[in-house]
Amino acid sequence: MLVSEIDMITPSSLSECLAFLAQTNKKHKLLAGGTDATVRMKEGNWRPEVWVNIKNLKELRYIEEKEGCIHIGPLTTHTDIVRSPLLQKKADVLVEASREVGATQMQNMGTIGGNIGTASPAGDTIPALYVLGAILEISSLDTKRLVPIEQFFTGPGRTVLRVNEMITNILIQPQVPNEIGIFQKLGPRKAQSISIVNVAISLRMIEGRHCQGGKIAFGAVGPTIIRAKKCESLLSQGPLTEDLIQNIAKIAWKEVMPITDVRATATYRRDMASALLERGLYRLIRRWENR
Amino acid sequence: MTDNQTNPESFKWVGKRVKRIDGPEKVTGELKYMTDYHFDNMVWGKVLQSEYPHAKINHIDTEEAKKLPGVICVLTHKDIPGFNGFGIVVPDQPVLCSKVVRCTGDAVALVAAETLEIAEQALSLIKVDYEPLEVVADAELAMTPSAPRLHPDGNIHSQVIIKNGDTEKAFQEADIIVENTFYSPRQMHAFIETEGGWGVMDEEGFITIRCPGQYAYRDRMQIARSLAYNPERIRVISSPIGGAFGGKDEITVQIYLALLAMHTNGRPVKIHYSREESVIAGIKRHPFKVQMKTAAKSDGTLLANEVRAVGDTGAYASLGGAVIALAIEHSCGPYKIPNVDLEGFCVYTNNGIAGAFRGFGVNQVCMGIETHMDMIAEKLGVDPIELRKKNVYHQGEVSSVGHVVKSSVGTFKTLETAENCDLWRNREKYKTEVSEPWKKRGVSLATSFHGIGMGIGLPDYGAASIELLQDGKFLVGVGCEEIGGGNSTVYAQVAAEILNCDISNIHVVQGDTSRTLDGGTVTASRSTYTGGRAVATAAPNMVKLLTQTAAEMLNLPASKVTINTNYISAEGKKLTYQSIYQYLFDNRKTTRVEGHFYLPKEKEGIEGSGGAPHHLYGYLTHVVMVEVDTLTGETDVLRVVSIPDAGKVMNPQGLEGQTEGGAVMGIGYTLFEDILIEDGYHKTRNFTDYIIPTIRETPLIETFPVEEAEATGPFGAKGIGEVVMIPIIAAIMSAIHDATGARIYHLPATPERVFNALKSLKNKKTQSAR
Repeated sequence: MLVSEIDMITPSSLSECLAFLAQTNKKHKLLAGGTDATVRMKEGNWRPEVWVNIKNLKELRYIEEKEGCIHIGPLTTHTDIVRSPLLQKKADVLVEASREVGATQMQNMGTIGGNIGTASPAGDTIPALYVLGAILEISSLDTKRLVPIEQFFTGPGRTVLRVNEMITNILIQPQVPNEIGIFQKLGPRKAQSISIVNVAISLRMIEGRHCQGGKIAFGAVGPTIIRAKKCESLLSQGPLTEDLIQNIAKIAWKEVMPITDVRATATYRRDMASALLERGLYRLIRRWENR
Repeated sequence: MTDNQTNPESFKWVGKRVKRIDGPEKVTGELKYMTDYHFDNMVWGKVLQSEYPHAKINHIDTEEAKKLPGVICVLTHKDIPGFNGFGIVVPDQPVLCSKVVRCTGDAVALVAAETLEIAEQALSLIKVDYEPLEVVADAELAMTPSAPRLHPDGNIHSQVIIKNGDTEKAFQEADIIVENTFYSPRQMHAFIETEGGWGVMDEEGFITIRCPGQYAYRDRMQIARSLAYNPERIRVISSPIGGAFGGKDEITVQIYLALLAMHTNGRPVKIHYSREESVIAGIKRHPFKVQMKTAAKSDGTLLANEVRAVGDTGAYASLGGAVIALAIEHSCGPYKIPNVDLEGFCVYTNNGIAGAFRGFGVNQVCMGIETHMDMIAEKLGVDPIELRKKNVYHQGEVSSVGHVVKSSVGTFKTLETAENCDLWRNREKYKTEVSEPWKKRGVSLATSFHGIGMGIGLPDYGAASIELLQDGKFLVGVGCEEIGGGNSTVYAQVAAEILNCDISNIHVVQGDTSRTLDGGTVTASRSTYTGGRAVATAAPNMVKLLTQTAAEMLNLPASKVTINTNYISAEGKKLTYQSIYQYLFDNRKTTRVEGHFYLPKEKEGIEGSGGAPHHLYGYLTHVVMVEVDTLTGETDVLRVVSIPDAGKVMNPQGLEGQTEGGAVMGIGYTLFEDILIEDGYHKTRNFTDYIIPTIRETPLIETFPVEEAEATGPFGAKGIGEVVMIPIIAAIMSAIHDATGARIYHLPATPERVFNALKSLKNKKTQSAR
């Protein structure tokens, strides 16, 4: 398929878009920010018969709190997230993760729905959505289903999304006052890099360094994002002293199953899962104490 | 030389912070690079790159491709009218391969088509019947007798040897010996404008090639050789350029453009490599393996140095032989070591192609000798600056390679400046100011040098022209291209200084065979020195032309004529430059002058060295502070002090541009950059995985020039374009050691390599504790 042979349609509303997805028998792909899609098209990997350009569906671009739940439209850009006072207050870990995505231009164009849909195991916002317990609303023309993010991915680049479906809403639980989160990323350089390992942490603190529990999710160390449940279960075993932090961090390498690629070896990635968790917990506790 | 050239006090332009004359149009984006141009009737050219790193070509079938609608021509080796090869020193690289391909950057066929997409499609329709051959993936293995021979004379393209004294005896007598092996990366130039340009042949058969390059005249000769065409009927325009750093010194796409232009019925043809094509076809810095053994006495006096350096030049020579020769010439640092045994090999493999790159081999050896200097200082418990001061050569002394250095030498002064800079004096305080408990800081320094101009055996000359224009302004023409270093501003400063006019009255044209004289390459840190001196040679001729013409016009003796700022006067009468132009024009007299000169050379070469010694060298010391995250192995360069000896500084602002850009490029080389090739195939294909520093990796960089004026240079200037990125490499490596105790011998020092070094250091300590 040549690029010049690919069609593009630009629906003017969500219902028009879903109607198109329901009736078309052409090979199609959704085009949101295009920061992944255009690169893959150029490389020859993504050459659908028709691009469904949803970039202008304003109705899918929102951040709001309703009935104890934060709703994020899938076309919300990373920059929107970074600048949202609501998310800064009640979803700090997602704000931090969005700030680490690519370059400024990518943050301006790239969308959270696109980041989820691309389903890269190294996607920066996904671990944050894991620890915030995100639920995805998936719609077709005549169905609507809710899928917890941990059930959404089936492998690298693969999801449970059917050809006539799209993500229409992302629901997260707002953080309560004692809940704090952090996102840590190790890339080959500080900015504009693909994660070698990343980790999102969310803790529910009680008093001092005592922690009621929390969630830890690693990226780029497995076929999908990995929850570190063994590490999580130790969070509430005592005050999070530097010793306990180091011990919890050491367990992380047992929870991940990285591979070797051009960016890093599997051994280093394993070691880095522990290192980032240690660094993240240390920084998070420091932040908690200095709040 | 005019009077004001000898009295720095009276300078109006030279040595001043003059804004770049090409600055505004570059920062606003108004300037069009040659690859930015589009024409209505233009066609697109594409190059078919080899599918295999090493294979025999049995047959090339272009029939299907030619039939595709929109294809204008498909060319193979059969369509080359002249010599099927190029290469600055040895033309061993085929323009289009006929029998064998030796790397995936090899070109097999060319296509011109109505659109880029049709051209790409046509490439996929060319059927090449390959027979894959065993791949030579490692330079050391390439040197063994069992390796497949990639070229008729074998896989060792060149060997250089320099021997002095008796190293064997010196090693026996030494109090201390350090011995290590260093590996360096395949750095990419990563210029913003990838290789490209356009070519057109007019009805009369005159060919114009607009293609960024570093030596238009030599590019023209290489084109003419392949086309079997009168070079006078080819015009090459090689400037402006979106960066080069040595990567556009060799032919890039000029010959392809010329070949295609001969088959497009007078329509302009454009080639512009994608980043991916550029990564594969473009030349890179030679990866080196350097084995070094250095000996000293207990008082710190260096006794001996033994070096064996192997450079991987990839499939073709390009400037590989010269790179290895320059590396060996500089492998002992700016020191006087009485006993040396130095050997370098330039070796063919199937790993892409390596060639010229800022530093030209010196980067790879500097990291060896400077690491050894620090190890010796550490073992002897002496200050690393003192150790260096004790061993540096001064002007008039004999260098390690055995020649008397007659030109200016600033090393000692740069070391003194380093000793007194804030970062060095207060280093212990700065090192304690870490932000988190697992971070460690280190401060170190290193020094190096770099030859200016061509070595012995290569003719080296400069030339410039100055033309008086109708509007009374001057057009200065210099062959050396503006590749981003700011030489155009230097040329304007020199002209304005000697012609005693405002710099806005000077226009500069560069890199155009029909408008500039052949003045050699813009390489080898030579363009300020050579071009500047050429302008300084031409300008007095213009002064003479103006004076004599004014005298003639006023009917007065020339001695009565004075050149004032922007006008001429004699006995109370004033003449504008416009009126002088008009007079010359009306009388059919030339308004143009030229200046030519020959670069000073050493009289005696060093046998076996392949070009050593140089007559001139620039010197530089770097001091750096790094912070290492011991949890992850990430290294952050926090501060850099750059102390260059560039001779007289022509433009402090331009010098800072070089020291800052050079430092960042050196940081990239040391910490991030490498094109990974496995079995001849590129694993790194674009900027997703080729990591260059961004502004977030750019530290505070201070520049403290030491001005050791060079008597032969224009106003005392030397050159600095390359050494600005060299010692920082070794300085960062030492600073990592200063911070953590771990040494890195294999660059880039990626987080993973630093982490592993820290891990093995920890294991060693635990073992010895048992």
